[in-house]
Amino acid sequence: MDAFAYTRADQPERAVRLAADPRARYIAGGTDLLNLMKDGVQRHDHLIDISALPLADVRESGGRIRLGALSRMSDVAVHQAVRRRLPVLSQALLAGASPQVRNMASLGGNLLQRTRCWYFRDPTMPCNRREPGSGCPALDGLNRWHAIVGGSDHCIAVHPSDLAVALTALDATVRTLSAEGPREIPMAGFYLPPGDTPHLETALRQGELITGIDVPVTELAAGSTYLKVRDRATFEFAVVSVAALVRLRGEEVREARLAFGGIAPRPWRSEAAEQALIGRPLNAATIEAAGAALVRDARPRAHNAFKVPLVQRALSDILGQFGRNR
Amino acid sequence: MTESQVGRPVSRVDGVAKVTGAARYAADAEVRGVTHAVLVMSTVARGRVTAVDTAGASAAPGVLGVFTHQNLARLALPSPAVAFLKRFLPVQDDLIRHAGQPVAIVVADTLERAQQASGLVGVSYRAEPPRVVLADDMGEAYIPPQTNDGANDYVRGDVAAGLAAAHAVAETTYTTPMQHHNALEPSVTVAAWDGDRLTVHESTQGISNTQNALMQAFGLARENVRVLSPYLGGGFGAKGPVWPHTVLTAAVARQVGRPVKLVLTRAQAYTSNGHRAETHQVLRVGAARDGRLTAIQHTVTQQVSRTEDALLNSSEPTRILYACPNVRSTQQAVRLDLPMGSFVRSPETATSHALESTLDELSYTLGLDPVELRVRNWSATNQESGERHGSSYLRECYERGAERFGWSRRDPRPGSMRDRDGLIGWGMATAAHTAGGRPGSSATVTIGVDGTARIRSGTQDLGTGTYTVMRQLGAEVLGLRLRGVRFDLGDSAFPAAFASAASATVPSVGAGVVRAATAARDRVIALAVADPDSPLHGAAPDQVSVGDGDLFLTERPSRRVGYRQVMRRHGRLIEVTSEAVFAPMGYSVGATFVEVHVDPVLGRVQVRRMVGVFDCGRVLNHRTARSQAIGGAIWAIGFTLSEHTLVDPNLGRIVTPNLSGYLVPVNADVPDIDVSFIDKPDPSSPALGARGFGETPMTGVTAAIGNAVYHATGHRIRDLPITQDKIIAALS
Ligand SMILES: Cc1cc2nc3c(=O)[nH]c(=O)nc-3n(C[C@H](O)[C@H](O)[C@H](O)COP(=O)(O)OP(=O)(O)OC[C@H]3O[C@@H](n4cnc5c(N)ncnc54)[C@H](O)[C@@H]3O)c2cc1C
Ligand code: SF4
Repeated sequence: MDAFAYTRADQPERAVRLAADPRARYIAGGTDLLNLMKDGVQRHDHLIDISALPLADVRESGGRIRLGALSRMSDVAVHQAVRRRLPVLSQALLAGASPQVRNMASLGGNLLQRTRCWYFRDPTMPCNRREPGSGCPALDGLNRWHAIVGGSDHCIAVHPSDLAVALTALDATVRTLSAEGPREIPMAGFYLPPGDTPHLETALRQGELITGIDVPVTELAAGSTYLKVRDRATFEFAVVSVAALVRLRGEEVREARLAFGGIAPRPWRSEAAEQALIGRPLNAATIEAAGAALVRDARPRAHNAFKVPLVQRALSDILGQFGRNR
Repeated sequence: MTESQVGRPVSRVDGVAKVTGAARYAADAEVRGVTHAVLVMSTVARGRVTAVDTAGASAAPGVLGVFTHQNLARLALPSPAVAFLKRFLPVQDDLIRHAGQPVAIVVADTLERAQQASGLVGVSYRAEPPRVVLADDMGEAYIPPQTNDGANDYVRGDVAAGLAAAHAVAETTYTTPMQHHNALEPSVTVAAWDGDRLTVHESTQGISNTQNALMQAFGLARENVRVLSPYLGGGFGAKGPVWPHTVLTAAVARQVGRPVKLVLTRAQAYTSNGHRAETHQVLRVGAARDGRLTAIQHTVTQQVSRTEDALLNSSEPTRILYACPNVRSTQQAVRLDLPMGSFVRSPETATSHALESTLDELSYTLGLDPVELRVRNWSATNQESGERHGSSYLRECYERGAERFGWSRRDPRPGSMRDRDGLIGWGMATAAHTAGGRPGSSATVTIGVDGTARIRSGTQDLGTGTYTVMRQLGAEVLGLRLRGVRFDLGDSAFPAAFASAASATVPSVGAGVVRAATAARDRVIALAVADPDSPLHGAAPDQVSVGDGDLFLTERPSRRVGYRQVMRRHGRLIEVTSEAVFAPMGYSVGATFVEVHVDPVLGRVQVRRMVGVFDCGRVLNHRTARSQAIGGAIWAIGFTLSEHTLVDPNLGRIVTPNLSGYLVPVNADVPDIDVSFIDKPDPSSPALGARGFGETPMTGVTAAIGNAVYHATGHRIRDLPITQDKIIAALS
């Protein structure tokens, strides 16, 4: 790690002013950024510590739960309103990392954590996302953990965040502040597809600060749940995951929103799978149809074809829970 | 009754120092003026270094030296006899033998500056495409000359005839992946020269080997090399051999004229101190109708490097364990552009896995309970040497284990046991590992005028409890209380000891302590019976016993005198050093029973319950022995379900060189583990009836888990680790 300057910001406006310099970077909990810097994946001359900004609260207002960007994963996960009204969010947070990491990590940092693709994480390997044009060894290499949908011939990394999957299913909005003032970015447009520019990951501009996340409180959200499949019992990223919001009347699915982790370069909302359920009875046939719709465009590689059946099984497992709980 | 010092579940004597931070590990050594080295590693797996640009690094602030093959002093390659197994020293020429081989070393006044400068070293290569996939090169397999782990082509009897005569034959192919040690503490060297005298603080399982290797590398006399290793944060075999980084650190320290510290990063540890080589194993096991084995044919093919052909996944269990007249064990190698393999926590686990899994397959073919199959093939002798085990209560382990587990309630049909949300499987296997048959160790016992004892031996404590049990052994023999005995280790100035490896510490070092303590005790007894003022005056020495800090007449314990009085009257200390006597071969065994739960939808395997019953002779300390059994079981869960080091087939580089890509079990993966011991002394033991036990507990568990998965699902997953994709593929 190279030497860097460090400034602690106390107000969002000041943080944004300091971050206008492209050599600067925000640091919140530091649980991802410091790993990347120590491993030489990222170099920044100036770190702006935003952890003391007054953006760490959780409030309910106007049919939304408003989460401060610097709220800690551990605090949000056990917040009463979150647990009651947005169970999928609480579950996704608790399924991520370890208690120690969650005690340090902020929501904003979680959304901006970078892929765990091992080629990306080793600066001495080629990787288009880290070093545009250097190539993607995952395509013909070890891609067990890589994307089966939404990838490109330039990058098939998966986005590692569980939180982002839940927020995508919940149709949340990211609030930001930049030199041009505040704005709101819907989750659906927050992450960019890799295309031929995998190094461009989000809609954020240079120095734009995430100030908060707004999540609509709905009847649908109250009946939501998260399922994470991984290679050990805990403290591990998803092989595949599902955030499901389903509202039933009798057997019939009235509303459904489904987002998936571990299968795509961004949290993967599948409207095709949702449409296969809405207006139909929740039974084995419709669940199967939803799974088939989900993976219709899947493009597995040498080592990750298993994710195609696995994500369908995960979907069927989680939908089965709704059926049983009815 | 005097209180026995062995057997009790004594807490680790170094526990408080460890949890309070008072324990100083190698990297904590305070060496005046220490500087820091950082290794620059090859990013290609095969080829040559064509140029190294060191200008930027040399000019960086704080840099004291940048070393490449062009300016590092020539060093003598230490020999395998001193456990320097690697057959080349890096940074001596331009040849790249594997990725992650050091190509340059940067030394600076602070670690941060050394790290920063290391990023400025520009290395150019002429790279060639590497070959790193075992399956692709199986056709190149060859049988290397024998090294340290048994014959590579071992035959007894007539396997073809044995197979022909069999009522049933199980033919299987099992594969196990590359795995890494991942000790919590990485390898560390701190080297300081004073003229021609070298002092090294090292995280090692063998200070004597390190001392010898450094003597050879630099042409130094023994008295000029001192190696210190008071504490280890685990080793698991990684720190068993001596590796190049130790020699390189001493070399650059000499060249910069300052003490130098090197701490391997986690990623560097993946290419610097060995790994468990990938294996491909083919077995044919035949049995008569009653289950008696008629033949075992076991061919293990494993990865070796371009420069060494040491085979560390020994088929020891195949050769030794079961009564079988016809056995052929072949150990083959395939050269790949990878680092050499080495010992990894119980190297025989890989072959034990295949053997014990195949026996399970055979039990189904025969329609015989797997416990019964093993009981019928139990042997009181080491089948390879033909010598009787000192003692073997393996049948009692099966029996007690089955009872504690509730094995009799098992429905043997695969897929027959379920709970609310999944499949339940029960499996078992035998645990077995040699413990001894290795060089001996010596120890010095010093009894002071205050009647307390200090024992010294140049051994190490991996974290297994050497400090504790050696003190217990010394106290028991001397008849002192634990607090009256101190045990010091980890200094090459102490009498030499064998490495902390091969489950040999108790039979080798323990025996050395017992011999020295016995001789010292006899000297004190001799003083007591010779002294006219002593209550024991005139007694025959063999009628005197010791205990609770006293010497007393065996038949009249009230006639007694304290060590302290005897020594005070003597007025001088007594010191005895034992000779190293080759440690006899022991065989520590056990039975492991496992329950798994398999989620039939998501394919997740969870170990729910585990019972292990072991015979390691007399148990010196029930707490440390139980810890060893639990630790072995936990590693075995990782071995079976999640651990594998992945190598990119095109780049020839490890892509999982860290604890986030390489999955060891976490607490939630580990069930409650029921451990018990037969605890009967082995009469052949030179260490008060105890045998070594380090590696036994891990053997058996992997196969027991795999066998339980079969019982749950009806499918054999013969390729480890058993990840959910394999279960799903099998179930669909
Ligand atoms: C061992 C381990 C296991 C993990 N497992 C999981 C897991 O299973 N699931 C999961 O979802 N996550 C997991 N994580 C990731 C973890 O959740 C993230 O590291 C964490 O959420 C990042 O938050 P932070 O506050 O520490 O961010 P930092 O590391 O401080 O920052 C990360 C990035 O976000 C930027 N940033 C931070 N806050 C803002 C803001 N308000 N506005 C603009 N930019 C900002 C920083 O500049 C930086 O680029 C794991 C992490 C570790 C270390
Ligand atoms: S998948 Fe993406 S992140 Fe991974 S190596 Fe390829 S380009 Fe880089």
